[in-house]
Amino acid sequence: MIQFSDASVTYAGGVHAMQHLDLTIEQGEFVVIVGLSGAGKSTLVRAVNGLVPLTGGSLQVDVRPGRSLGGRSEGEPTSYDVVGLTGRRLRDLRAEVGMIFQGFNLVKRTTVLNNVLMGRLHRVPTWRTLLGMYPADDVELAMRALERVEIVDKAYVRASNLSGGQQQRVGIARALAQEPSIILADEPVASLDPPTSHAVMRYLQQINREFGITTIVNLHFLDLATRYADRIVGLRNGELVFDGPGSAADEHVFRDIYGRSLTADDVMGEEERGGDAEAVVTPPTSPA
Amino acid sequence: MSATAPSRRVARPDEPPPSRFGVAMGVLFVVMTALSVVSTGFSLDGIIEDLGRRNDSISGLLNIDLSVITSTRTLTAFVETLQMAVVGTIIGGAAALPLALASTEVGARTTTVRWLVRAFNNVVRAIPDILWALLFVAMVGIGVLPGLLALVFFSIAVTTKLTSDVLDGIDLGPVEAADATGAAHVAKLRTAVVPQILPAYSSFLLYNFELNLRASAVLGLVGAGGIGTRIEFYRSAGRWPEVWGIIVLFFAITFVVERLSIMFRRRLV
Amino acid sequence: MSSTRQQPPDQSTDRTSDAERVDELLRPEKPTEVFRWVVTVVVLVLLAWGLSADIKWSRLLEAPGEFATIVRLMFRDPDWSALPGLLSAMWESIAMAWLGTVIATIFAIPLAFLAAENLVPGWVAFLTRQVFNVLRAVPEIILAVVFIPIFGLGPQAGIMALGVGSIGTLGKLCYEIIEGLDDGPIEAADATGATGVQRLRWAVVPQVLPELASFAMYRFEVNIRASAVLGVVGAGGIGGLLAQYIQFKVWERAGLALVVVVLATILVDAISGRIRRRIIAGPDGTGDVDGDGLPDDLDPDERARLTTDPVGGGAGLS
Ligand SMILES: Nc1ncnc2c1ncn2[C@@H]1O[C@H](COP(=O)(O)OP(=O)(O)OP(=O)(O)O)[C@@H](O)[C@H]1O
Ligand SMILES: [Mg+2]
Repeated sequence: MIQFSDASVTYAGGVHAMQHLDLTIEQGEFVVIVGLSGAGKSTLVRAVNGLVPLTGGSLQVDVRPGRSLGGRSEGEPTSYDVVGLTGRRLRDLRAEVGMIFQGFNLVKRTTVLNNVLMGRLHRVPTWRTLLGMYPADDVELAMRALERVEIVDKAYVRASNLSGGQQQRVGIARALAQEPSIILADEPVASLDPPTSHAVMRYLQQINREFGITTIVNLHFLDLATRYADRIVGLRNGELVFDGPGSAADEHVFRDIYGRSLTADDVMGEEERGGDAEAVVTPPTSPA
Repeated sequence: MSATAPSRRVARPDEPPPSRFGVAMGVLFVVMTALSVVSTGFSLDGIIEDLGRRNDSISGLLNIDLSVITSTRTLTAFVETLQMAVVGTIIGGAAALPLALASTEVGARTTTVRWLVRAFNNVVRAIPDILWALLFVAMVGIGVLPGLLALVFFSIAVTTKLTSDVLDGIDLGPVEAADATGAAHVAKLRTAVVPQILPAYSSFLLYNFELNLRASAVLGLVGAGGIGTRIEFYRSAGRWPEVWGIIVLFFAITFVVERLSIMFRRRLV
Repeated sequence: MSSTRQQPPDQSTDRTSDAERVDELLRPEKPTEVFRWVVTVVVLVLLAWGLSADIKWSRLLEAPGEFATIVRLMFRDPDWSALPGLLSAMWESIAMAWLGTVIATIFAIPLAFLAAENLVPGWVAFLTRQVFNVLRAVPEIILAVVFIPIFGLGPQAGIMALGVGSIGTLGKLCYEIIEGLDDGPIEAADATGATGVQRLRWAVVPQVLPELASFAMYRFEVNIRASAVLGVVGAGGIGGLLAQYIQFKVWERAGLALVVVVLATILVDAISGRIRRRIIAGPDGTGDVDGDGLPDDLDPDERARLTTDPVGGGAGLS
């Protein structure tokens, strides 16, 4: 469970990027956050793992290790009070929260596998990580994560040699390798073409369904949001202006969130099947 | 509890063996370092011990004498250094342009010319400035002249290298256009190639001047004129405060010249 | 340079209605080229001033003849018995260059962190950079001169001169690399809960290592040139023999010594250049991994100037 109570973020420049937010997200939900550029979407998502500190209110994150790739047994839930969290405790929290970035944030000069193994850094003794001597179990987990996003054949290829869509799949695998209870994705498809975007969204949806990982995705495109979200949260100027199931979010609602009529820029469009090489590697539909 | 097995459409790749290159580099590093230590007799203990001992150089630095600048001989030597650097840059730089052109595919008329010029450039580049000075001192005796000649050749080496690197990356469109008009070889170079590299070339000249100024400080150590003669004079007399005084003053001057040169180079771009 | 050129009249418009305009636009006046004249005059004046130095010009006339004689003496009948000694002295020069480079790298990397503006307060970075600037400015041979009283005659002083002298350039390159780091992977490492050291090892080192290794190799090439002459002042290596042979006009040995220096330099350049290219291109041999628009195997010194110092001839490549 993630619980914002009267939470605010004011940046050094005086921008109020989050204002008195009250929001509760239950374990296992697939939440999409929409809003205009500058509405505070990234701020919200980054607050969850403490990359952006709150300047007011409170934020509680409860993680419950659940089903995962590595078959980690369901453990006792741990509760984190994110405000003021530092050092070891902060890193513990972050290890439970996977993050996927718009720019992929891979280390381009090293192999795909090494990038995914970054997801294991928190679990492996530091001296082993320094020498790159990861235990076989962790390598196995990274491999499984790569299999999950169907890119295991590139495990020993340098990340710089992958296309954007492939890099984002590695990004997902890295998050997955953390065996997280929460996944945060900040505009994961903003630099990808429509078919690739749909593929990435489907991977996220599947992971959410299969492992019960709470998933929060920032999106710019409304049709993607309604198609994949269980729940849509609309932000405007750092304030919550909509919160409801994906099905309830019709055009009027979006007009409310965006403060203007919708334009062609706000929708991504259908995926064109088979047109693009990237589209061929679509995940199998619902394995569960 | 284990996860649902994902569709294994793709087999896992085998882990590639550690890169032969990486291993070779590691071995090379260790072997080179070990051999070097053995053959030079390098020892860290020795270094630390030496640093702890009292010595003329360090105590000279502590009693640095900046009043050397008032001696007319030193002043003249400073001026000579500047003159050597100026002339070396202008003459050497002027010679470098055709040499750079002739060393590239666009500029050379034939492959033979290109290879000959390249070989010449490589040899000139392989001989360090002070070695040129030694040679010219042997040919024309000590004084400013050998220093000046040494700097001419040093400038040729530096500017030719930098300029020909830029030449490798020029836009070949204009060259093609010039060929299409039936322009003669030299005319083609003048109109289609030189304008493309001129800003870079001028900036290289100024950069080369900075290098020359620095180089001219050491040529005097072998009798080739300039401020180095004064450094050598005081050094052989064991007058370290004066040696340090000249070094510090010289670098103050080069610092000023460098700032000016950078200012000009900015304007050029 | 002539930015004042005027647009030619538009051909496609109706000519009669444009008659007067064509009249005044067709032939712009040739712009005056003040800049070109100023440069020419300045260069000529400087040249004249430089040539007015106290130079015995008559000697210049003898130079070509002397040169021919020396070359003849050098290569007509080289004294091969000197070769083993020369080769081992050249090896000493190479070994000095290698150790100097290793020492410089060991000191430059930690210092570079102190010069990176994204890591330390501005004034710390400024001070460290000034240290780099001073070290970069001093020629190794001057360092050797002042080091000999400390470390004694021989290679020890030469190694220290090369090591200290290279800290400046290596350090400068390092902090530029550090400042140019892609902080995406760093953020990603933080988001996985990695510690500071782990972040350094997996997000920073892989990004910087190839450039760093490549530049250190390049510095080794540069240092070989320097170390070949350090012996002139007594700091070890082949320079001592070289100076002795030339000063005492033992040409049949001096020629051989020169050839050894030139060939060794060219050989090491060639090997090291190939290694550098391979380091930067990586196993897959892709061209521009760092995506800075410049080829990755560009001479690193050159790159340093082209990318950071907007003056170093950027115009030539952009
Ligand atoms: N580090 C920062 N320092 C100061 N102001 C910031 C910072 N990060 C974001 N802001 C400001 O906070 C507001 C919200 O930013 P945020 O990045 O959360 O918006 P967003 O909804 O993610 O927008 P986008 O769709 O463009 O990514 C913006 O006005 C932004 O300028
Ligand atoms: Mg954002």
